[in-house]
Amino acid sequence: MKPRERVETALNHEIPDRCPMQISFTPEFADRLYHDMQMKGRGIHNPHGGGNTYELERVLGEDMLLTSVGWANSYYLDDKPYIDEWDIGWDIQPYQTPFGSGHYTEIVGHPLADDDAISDYQPPDPTRPELYDASRQMIRDFKDEYWIVGVTVTTIFETAWALRGYEQIMLDMSLNPDLANAIMEIPYRYHLTAAKKLVELGVDMIWIGDDMGTQDRMLISPIMWRQFLKPRMANFIAEIKSLNPTLKVAYHTDGKVDPIIPDLIEIGLDVLNPIQPASMDPAQIKKEYGDHLCFWGTIDEQRTLPFGKPSDVEAEIRHRLRTVGKDGGLILSPTHHVQLDTPLENFWMMVNTISNTPYSSI
Amino acid sequence: MDDGKHDLQYALFIHLNLGVAMEQYLEQISQAVVKGDQNATIELVQAAVDAQVDANTIMQKGLIPAMSDVGRLYEQGEYFVPEMLISARAMKAGLEIIKPLLAGSDLKPAGTVAVGTVKGDLHDIGKNLVGIMLEGAGFSVHDLGTDVSPEQFIEAIRTNQVDLIGMSALLTTTMPMMETTTNAITRAGLRNQVKIIIGGAPITQAYADKIGADGFAPDASQAVKLAINLVNQR
Ligand code: B12
Repeated sequence: MKPRERVETALNHEIPDRCPMQISFTPEFADRLYHDMQMKGRGIHNPHGGGNTYELERVLGEDMLLTSVGWANSYYLDDKPYIDEWDIGWDIQPYQTPFGSGHYTEIVGHPLADDDAISDYQPPDPTRPELYDASRQMIRDFKDEYWIVGVTVTTIFETAWALRGYEQIMLDMSLNPDLANAIMEIPYRYHLTAAKKLVELGVDMIWIGDDMGTQDRMLISPIMWRQFLKPRMANFIAEIKSLNPTLKVAYHTDGKVDPIIPDLIEIGLDVLNPIQPASMDPAQIKKEYGDHLCFWGTIDEQRTLPFGKPSDVEAEIRHRLRTVGKDGGLILSPTHHVQLDTPLENFWMMVNTISNTPYSSI
Repeated sequence: MDDGKHDLQYALFIHLNLGVAMEQYLEQISQAVVKGDQNATIELVQAAVDAQVDANTIMQKGLIPAMSDVGRLYEQGEYFVPEMLISARAMKAGLEIIKPLLAGSDLKPAGTVAVGTVKGDLHDIGKNLVGIMLEGAGFSVHDLGTDVSPEQFIEAIRTNQVDLIGMSALLTTTMPMMETTTNAITRAGLRNQVKIIIGGAPITQAYADKIGADGFAPDASQAVKLAINLVNQR
């Protein structure tokens, strides 16, 4: 099966030859892989696919390729402090792991921190044609073979919190809902424009998202989510699907979010990502919602990938295939970019187990 | 004789009314904080101070029980992060008013704590909630921020007479810094002076045991219970 057929089959709740696979990495993990495979990488690897060569993804045998337009591309823009085109300030945060040192990029400047800053704030323009050059090119190069995902994650809430400040936007949602709404409108409009353009260019799926879960509960109440996020997401999904009725829509949120899964299904979501297994049991979620929803993710990266043995990785993947993968509906992927603390043996065990386990053998 | 009796009755009358007024103030202050009503909290705390209610009492019977209610509501899943933040804001506004008065009294804080997110990690909302809840339980809290190096934790212990260190990490890539920091505190000869507690998404009791921390808590209100227990052991 071609990668794109494999994904299409799974998303139609049917069983492909093997489970589709998607993996993203932090820049430093990408470097380690290049080194391990004796390949030459170039430039800073963007985990969301902005400007990537897709060399690693293709060599590994991944089935979906990602192309991103939106604020999420501001992560990992540089290796020294920078201000992105939204006027959001970034700092560089180094860290150490047993496998070398890495850096994260950290949001430090919030252009809408002052209550009245919004009145003369100019967001970037999502209609600049050059924003879509890389996407156009990769769709031309790879769509025959691969399932193409247009990425507009950090769609509403996450960009709003970067613009305003994490705690402040949450205070606003209670104390100054008009301001919170006005701020959320900015990324919402931007990303909707970008997503529509990506759909016109021919992506197969749009990936939207905002982290709404913490490890053991939602970050904000389901009531608040229904007030601020749900109506915008409903409209977002409706508008992009009206451009292409066969388009699939995936939604990313970390953590435990089961109270809003029925709402997500109601507004037309097709795929939920990443189902952090330490927060929600993927098998249980499949049982409850698997008829209406597909799943993308489920490989634990808080315990198994960094700290488990290769045999734990293998066992977890087999377990997922038997439970969540039953009747298709699953794309296996770690629950976030693979982090630098992951031993290569575990990484390769993940790739090889997924690649070499036909559904017929389960 | 008659006059004396009268005086006594009068004193009793005043006492009862003040008592009732005081109970009412404290109850209303608590409710305002739980609701997150900052303005009402400020007005009520000021009114209580004006009515000669002792600052210590306002803290112990107004603000602290309120924040413990807030913690309980969070544990029970009725409150989420925004509700916690709003209550914290109200509590802090009330605390600002009585702080100068508390400083003059002989009241000691429940303990002195330094909290921080370990080096390399920027996730701070959980650490902030832990700091807020400890402050709301009467601890004196030094927030060292995010990306806090072992040296900075040590410096905080040395300069602030800290009883308790609270470390937060949300990433598997940064949680080993908890062990590094704990070891550095030991090497600096300060381990016996402080209790160390840790928390954050990937952290478990087993990990706390492994690195020789004194405790772990899965959320901010349980962090408070843990902190009180540990400080009382000292
Ligand atoms: C919000 C968030 C972010 C925000 C952080 C904003 C901020 N200023 O804090 C942003 C978007 C910036 C971010 C960035 C990244 N993140 Co992040 N993030 C999260 C998310 C969704 C929620 C965390 C949160 O705020 N929770 C809310 C608070 C209230 O909960 P809490 O922190 O758990 O705290 C409670 C308890 O744990 C406890 N507690 C916490 N600290 C302490 C301390 C003590 C002493 C005690 C006793 C208790 C205690 O009490 C708290 C209150 O009840 C989690 C998902 C998750 N499952 O947790 C991912 C998550 C932690 N992130 C993850 C990742 C990978 C990243 C990045 C590395 C991504 C990347 N670039 O590759 C970067 C790292 C940047 C850095 N240097 O730290 C992964 C980590 C995976 C792993 N292997 O460990 C997670 C688990 C998501 C996932 N899908 O896997 N993230």
